[in-house]
Amino acid sequence: MRAIKRIAIIILCILIAFPLLYAFSMSFFSPSDFTDSYAHFLPGKLGFSNYRKAFSTRLFGRYILNSVLTAVLSMALRVAVSVSASFAFSHLAFRGRKALLIILLSTLFIPQDANLYQNYTTIARLSLLDTYLGIILPGIFSASAMLLMVSSCAMLDKDIYAAAQIDGSGDIRYIASILVHMIKPTLITVALQAFIGSFNSYLWPLLVTNKPRMRTIQIALTMLGFAEEGAYGAQFASIMVITLPFVALIAAGRKQIMKSLSETRMH
Amino acid sequence: MRMKRELKAYLFLAPALILSVTFFILPFLRSFASSFLKISQSGRILGFAGLGNYASILGNEYFIRSVLHTFVFAIVFVPLNALITLSAAALTRSGKHPVSEIVFFSPLAFSLSALALTMKQIFRGKVSIINRITGLGISWLSDSVSAMAVIVILGIFLDFAFDYMILYASFRSIDRRIIEAAELDGASGAQILMRIELPLIMPAFAAIVFLSVKDALLINAPVMILTEGGPFRSTETIMYYYYLEAFKSGNRAAESVISVIMTLSSAALMAIAGRRRK
Repeated sequence: MRAIKRIAIIILCILIAFPLLYAFSMSFFSPSDFTDSYAHFLPGKLGFSNYRKAFSTRLFGRYILNSVLTAVLSMALRVAVSVSASFAFSHLAFRGRKALLIILLSTLFIPQDANLYQNYTTIARLSLLDTYLGIILPGIFSASAMLLMVSSCAMLDKDIYAAAQIDGSGDIRYIASILVHMIKPTLITVALQAFIGSFNSYLWPLLVTNKPRMRTIQIALTMLGFAEEGAYGAQFASIMVITLPFVALIAAGRKQIMKSLSETRMH
Repeated sequence: MRMKRELKAYLFLAPALILSVTFFILPFLRSFASSFLKISQSGRILGFAGLGNYASILGNEYFIRSVLHTFVFAIVFVPLNALITLSAAALTRSGKHPVSEIVFFSPLAFSLSALALTMKQIFRGKVSIINRITGLGISWLSDSVSAMAVIVILGIFLDFAFDYMILYASFRSIDRRIIEAAELDGASGAQILMRIELPLIMPAFAAIVFLSVKDALLINAPVMILTEGGPFRSTETIMYYYYLEAFKSGNRAAESVISVIMTLSSAALMAIAGRRRK
């Protein structure tokens, strides 16, 4: 039984790891390794010419910067917007509270993908095509992130807020130094989802950017023109440049991610 | 004083409200309204269409086929995805497999376009690594059935890491004392899994299944990068068809009708998911 389990784990690991390993291997392939009469597992000879070619691509650094910048901004703004709204819902009394909560959460039922065209026209009308704001704006608000935040804020002890007020600390100060610590697992989960979602997004940045300088790396990968010249190796070198740092980050932050996920009530 | 307090609450809510109304609620309402109007390519309203737009889209051969392709994708993808992620999480639930955990997490680092481009090479044609490994001689992306299979495989890789994380975290958050008590009573590992652990992680598992159904209904970008709907439009999904009509053909009728249909169906799905949870 134990042996079967072991074998099953190993098979699954090989299957799951294969694309990543093979992409890594292909990042060293010479053009002839791609066009040979049989498919190679490993490159014919080792060399870094693909990586040199990737890095010497015009705007390569800019594409990566665009991706990282938009992902970090989306993450920060989504966290800020959802914390701020959740604070209002859980700590303040005001008229129309229930109606506003219903309005916000009703957007859970509206998939962003089905609004692609309408949102595109909105961004175009605001003259935000080819801008960072245009890339991130429609993705900042997320109903599911909102729901996670509101429910974890609702469970907090409001006496702490009352005490903070008596001590004369303002709302912003309370949120920044007390509230965010108490909902840390949810915060990390939301931030992680926002970062990954934005960094990986393909269709939206493709639609709202036209200038090469504003393309994100995800779009650039499919458009760098390596495929047309048959320089697939450089394409996979570029893929590795953006993928490997994240593999390292994930391996290092795995424990913290798991902890946050298991402490966040997702359902 | 009370006025001031309320004003403050509205200020804290304003960003979320403005964004959700601008990018979720208004677009839906606009699509809904446009779906009953005749609108020119340039966006001018030409008149009232009644249900004419719906009739023309629902009668369009390529739309019907895209619905069919999407269902085929969903029917294969959803159970396979559930089975694979659940097995991976169950196999490593003891928490004593750090290497496998890292491997199962790693696809998270692989972005959609990077993974799609890698899959395109792995399945690139007769001379491909997948044919060398399996001994098959299939031209994967030039045949409609195998092209769909490749999209399913890509879909599984895209969702695997995230689903695995949720399920694994859910397994790990089970109170150890319950399992230790069962072990003391002489329950076998398989019994504990089937009778205690699986029922306890059911809510997480159900959430994943519903998310994957939603992903399947809305699948678009993988198709775009991998097959561009081909060969001969045989892998066009609903949202890829929507993308072509809205952005390439300027077909406002198709854009608004499909947008309404997809929003209503995913809302129905969410409603079912919500009711099940109670």
